[in-house]
Amino acid sequence: MIANGIVETDSAEEFIEEIEKSQDVLPKKINANPQTVEKGLAKLVLTLIELIRKLLEKQAMRRVEAGSLSDEQIENMGETLMKLESKMEELKQIFGLKDEELNLNLGPLGDLM
Amino acid sequence: MKLYLYGIIDSSDQIKESIYGLEGVGVYNISFRDIGAVVSEISQPIQGVTEGAVLEHETVVEKLMANFTILPVRFQTIIDGRDNLLSMMQSYYKDFKDNLARLYNKLEFGIKVIWPADKVKENIIKALNEGEQRVLESDGSASKRFIKEKFEKYKIDKEFETKADKFIKVMDIFFSKFAAEKKLEKLKTRDLLLDAVYLVEKDKENDFREAFEHIKSADPNLKYLFSGPWPPYNFVVLLRKTGLLRDTEQADLFDKVTRCQTLVGADSI
Repeated sequence: MIANGIVETDSAEEFIEEIEKSQDVLPKKINANPQTVEKGLAKLVLTLIELIRKLLEKQAMRRVEAGSLSDEQIENMGETLMKLESKMEELKQIFGLKDEELNLNLGPLGDLM
Repeated sequence: MKLYLYGIIDSSDQIKESIYGLEGVGVYNISFRDIGAVVSEISQPIQGVTEGAVLEHETVVEKLMANFTILPVRFQTIIDGRDNLLSMMQSYYKDFKDNLARLYNKLEFGIKVIWPADKVKENIIKALNEGEQRVLESDGSASKRFIKEKFEKYKIDKEFETKADKFIKVMDIFFSKFAAEKKLEKLKTRDLLLDAVYLVEKDKENDFREAFEHIKSADPNLKYLFSGPWPPYNFVVLLRKTGLLRDTEQADLFDKVTRCQTLVGADSI
């Protein structure tokens, strides 16, 4: 049985791969059970923290681009962002999470990671 | 008795053609005022999403599309009995009528474009290095080096987005000329530059296809996927927020059937 709608492409495999990638950004179900609930919650919380951290970083880059920061401010900002990043690395290691596990599809804004 | 729902059509008449749906059961129209809900009876819940079942659903919807304006519903939409179906029709009658009028004589087409993201990024880095503007001087402190690295990445990402916007804008100019409505998604993945659906009037179908062929031949570095005509899965807009269906069910009922299209596509390729 074939439906009438057609699909035309010279690169079927590549499109299937990309479509699958775009659909698998978030798991269909949250796998929560007594053994994994702590990791599941950590994953959720760290994803949100990572989102906020990325937003802060982006805002900082905009200010750098605008040239509105003094040397001292850049120095302070760099130190803060560096510490935030290293703290996140530490937390990811504690909960055994990888970067790609903290991804979030932000719709028109794209993926978090 | 459970009813498997395929779609809402702009007719209260019985369907003349014999159409068989899921489990090989004949489909029929349950009328409500001047519109109808096309269903077939179903004896047991559908066991998972199989290519065969999705194609059976899609085939019914496309056969209906040939003779009616249809609001296709999501695969696996089952309503518990005729009374519930009629209540739902009553609750959503105005929305259904508005959508049927808006989508009359229109078809949906999908266009996906893959671009060479690595190559694009490489060229951006090269261009940025050549015309480098020193916004930041690194004086060797760790925090400044950190900011410098982040800023370079930020500039590359920003330019990458800008280039994507430009490509999409050019393509969209051609397609939009023949489309009544559109939905565009940029960079769903790094390589999937554009995932778009266009709503096209039936008499502009050939013009739309020609526009696609024209765009396709313009840049050999881009890869294209063209699909359709589909029922207007992505263009049904329900405004009513209360009623028989909870909001989540309402969203589910007419949610876009990307997976369905993918499976149908995979079979046709």
